[in-house]
Amino acid sequence: MNKTGSVDKEEGSMSKRVRARFTLLLGASLAAVIGLVVSGGALGSSAQSCGTVTLNEQAWAGSTANTYVVKYVLESKLGCSVKITKVTEIPVFQAMADGKVDAVLEDWNHVAQYKQFVAKQKSVVLVRANGLVGHIGWFIPKYLLKQYPQFKTWRGLKGKESVFKTAESGSQGMFLGGDPSYVQKDKELIELLGLDFKHVTVGAEPAEVARFTQQIKQKKPVIFYWWTPQYLNQQLNLAEVKLPARIKGCQDDASAGGDIKKYKCAYAADPLNKLFSKKFIQSGSPAVKVLRNFKWSNADQNLVAKWIAGDKVKPEKAAEKWVKANAAKVNAWLK
Amino acid sequence: MSVAAAGIETAAPVLSHRPWWRGKIVQTAGIVALMYLAYRAWALEYPWPARLTWSALPAHFDDFQTWLLDQRNAEDPSFVFAIFDAFATFVDNLVAWFDELLLWLTWVGTTAAGTVVALRFGGWRAAAWVIAAFAAFAVMGLWEESMQTIALMLAAVGLSLLVGIPLGIVAGLSDRFLRTITPVLDVMQIVPAFAYLMPVVILFSVGPGAAVVSTMIYAIPPAVRITALGIRRVPANTVEAATSMGSTRGQLLGKVQLPLSRRMILLGVNQTILFALSMVVIAGLIGGGGLGDVVTSGLYSNPALAILAGVAIVILAMALDRSTEAIADRTDPTRRHLTDAGRRRLRLTTIALAVVVSGVVVLAKVFGAAAIYPETATAQEWLLERTQAWLDYVTDPANFVFNITEPIGTFILVDIFQPLQQFLIEAPWFTTVLGLTAIAFVVSGLRPALTTLAMVLSIGVMGMWEPAMDTFSQVLVATALTVLIGVALGVWAAESKTVSRVLRPVNDVLQTMPQLIYIIPFIYLMPVSIVPGIVASVLYAFPVVVRLVERGVRDVAPETVEAASAFGATRRQVLMKVKLPLASDAIMLGVNQGIIMVLAVVVIGGLVGSGGLGYLVAQGLVRGEFGLGVVASLAILALGIALDRVTQATRRDQRGAVA
Repeated sequence: MNKTGSVDKEEGSMSKRVRARFTLLLGASLAAVIGLVVSGGALGSSAQSCGTVTLNEQAWAGSTANTYVVKYVLESKLGCSVKITKVTEIPVFQAMADGKVDAVLEDWNHVAQYKQFVAKQKSVVLVRANGLVGHIGWFIPKYLLKQYPQFKTWRGLKGKESVFKTAESGSQGMFLGGDPSYVQKDKELIELLGLDFKHVTVGAEPAEVARFTQQIKQKKPVIFYWWTPQYLNQQLNLAEVKLPARIKGCQDDASAGGDIKKYKCAYAADPLNKLFSKKFIQSGSPAVKVLRNFKWSNADQNLVAKWIAGDKVKPEKAAEKWVKANAAKVNAWLK
Repeated sequence: MSVAAAGIETAAPVLSHRPWWRGKIVQTAGIVALMYLAYRAWALEYPWPARLTWSALPAHFDDFQTWLLDQRNAEDPSFVFAIFDAFATFVDNLVAWFDELLLWLTWVGTTAAGTVVALRFGGWRAAAWVIAAFAAFAVMGLWEESMQTIALMLAAVGLSLLVGIPLGIVAGLSDRFLRTITPVLDVMQIVPAFAYLMPVVILFSVGPGAAVVSTMIYAIPPAVRITALGIRRVPANTVEAATSMGSTRGQLLGKVQLPLSRRMILLGVNQTILFALSMVVIAGLIGGGGLGDVVTSGLYSNPALAILAGVAIVILAMALDRSTEAIADRTDPTRRHLTDAGRRRLRLTTIALAVVVSGVVVLAKVFGAAAIYPETATAQEWLLERTQAWLDYVTDPANFVFNITEPIGTFILVDIFQPLQQFLIEAPWFTTVLGLTAIAFVVSGLRPALTTLAMVLSIGVMGMWEPAMDTFSQVLVATALTVLIGVALGVWAAESKTVSRVLRPVNDVLQTMPQLIYIIPFIYLMPVSIVPGIVASVLYAFPVVVRLVERGVRDVAPETVEAASAFGATRRQVLMKVKLPLASDAIMLGVNQGIIMVLAVVVIGGLVGSGGLGYLVAQGLVRGEFGLGVVASLAILALGIALDRVTQATRRDQRGAVA
């Protein structure tokens, strides 16, 4: 599979047009330099049996962890050259449809996009389970449980909402809501469970982290929308509050609207998905098989993410460290 | 004379011929009082009626997006998409080519080439800035990402100018064209980028091409506006003289109007660059790469690295700003006349410098300099450690800083913001509509009042009443703070050279540093919703007010000031009674621009807990709720248009009064 060859040819003819414009713009002072460029013809190509694989990394640390681990495996074991893009969650579907991104390793069930790109257009292939189980819930710091053991479940919160009172929430307790981009139904849950919480939107994930770490650092009570896998859960010692059990037809995404009753249950524990570009599968690259086999646990991902985001180890180094320590798991992907 | 008396007399010239109860401030206060009474009487009883809401609107936009996606990804797509595709591929390759050029030159050669270009066209100061910028990229270990961003900016700015300057020239020559294009430019600047990222991706896929297109949408307007302004500022008598000597229209444009507006056009280039740079992070979301990506992922897993990348963006912006400004100054034909000998000398210098650059590149190649500044020689680790330590110190809640900032934040939220927000959201919708229209009428006349009425009603019809009122209350608080800080600092800077010199880099940092970088650490200091968002918009908007006010006060004719001093006015009297009234035009322009800038960061507010329209727009992109995002963006636009027209008309009004 030599993808790079054809790209080179295209770039060659393109650069002539571009060159003319550039000369025009910058004038004669750079002409000498440009001449050098032309004579250099400096477009290196590195043809390898595996070719180039493009993985997309999302902003959160867990995504950095799985992307760099797979990158390290593909590069060191298969001799691929791996390119990492950082396109955000929804646009990346179009990127895969166009073959600009080959694979996404951790997708949090974007149902509407699955309908459009996977089911209807068939330009993106849903490969499913990467071994991670994504689960959203209500979280509190563990130290709260010492004083209020009843906070293990939502029933214990009833009547005790004022523990979470802040200047901002007045007489009610304050509930920190999630990132606008994540699935949520907390306003509905608060209403359905008859809890006296004021739902406060705190913005994107890093902003939410800022809000609750500041409370936790002061050992103050705080309750918030959060999820696993997340490396901070261990570092900050978080505990989950049990919500009512799942019911039949239970829904998580309140933006879908409809009968509010169907939201009265805990969030699901969903396996997270891998997605491949159809063009990537058709390419027959040996990387396809390895990516299909790729699978690891929440604990694995949290560990590597903690090295990267908590201990500030470079992602490449963290990936290498994990792969070397987990030869058995990695070998299973290579089979 | 007492200060208070001076204050009253300043206001006197405009108002003296009216009885006190016809004063704008008094009337506005009266209307607000009536609105408040209505709120006390019927709070929460009359929310925007569902009957008047076009609730299917977001679904229509969603359907449009699905249709577009189907068309785009069909087996046999229409040729229209081939055009978009071709453009995207062209830009992808252009950016890739620039990037490869920068890498091929090696880090030594790139630095030499950049410096020499700055030296030849901008002089020593510009060259020093460029060297400093490259040194910073090297030391921070962000060389590769910086080169990617520079390549992206070269393409984005180049294409923006290619479109913007010709449009600007036409807008400078034709009043009708200017009137037609102004609302389009307003839309391009006010509608948040988050709303059009998805359509851009559908048409241009992801990658540098899409990133450049979304950057262009934001960066073209200043190029058009400032070019048009430049052409219009060419003195009428010069144009007449040229016409009377028999110049054709082409000659007039090419030999008189363009050369004389050259300085302005170059300043337009400068603004285009700064606007383009402010899109780096957003462009990163759709494959722009470079420093924008480092910022985004840094915010999640390495805040210190995000700060470093932000500093790199700021330094890049300042270097480009200072060198384009120097170039604009040096090429101003009214300042510098070139003799033939001078021209020849310049040409020789150019050739000599080009030879020097080629020499450096060749030497660098011979000695095997790397494409990227070697990672082992950077101070990145050390810088990251220091920055992180500093961050940890500042954000520590046990620290004294927190004990000051947290109560302030809570005070702003509970005592200023929440009452206002409650008032606007819970008051009966019809009294709010009538009240806002009446205020617009009192403040600036019939037409702006009609615009306000139309905009406020359309916000309601789009089903955005509550979030829009939420955002409106934030915009009011933020604008008040912005104007307060901006006018005070602007006047101070106009009076004192030292203050002006200190403020300039501060303004530059605040305008070009991606807001999330400093606002997320700021949340640790003021962990209260909405306040970080308001602070972000104030910090982003007040520099513009400072600049406009400073220039306005400074530009007051020196003869007037001298005359006042000759009559024995103290410095304070000169400022209060002469300079400020005469600069009121510039001050109102500052208020107007301040509001637009506040609106420009509404989405950032949504990302740090402000709720309202900004949150919905952010949700629109990242949750794939395209229709919702578009409708929320339209509501922001409606707010922007109403506020802009009201404040602009005030300016015109005052100009009339002064004349």
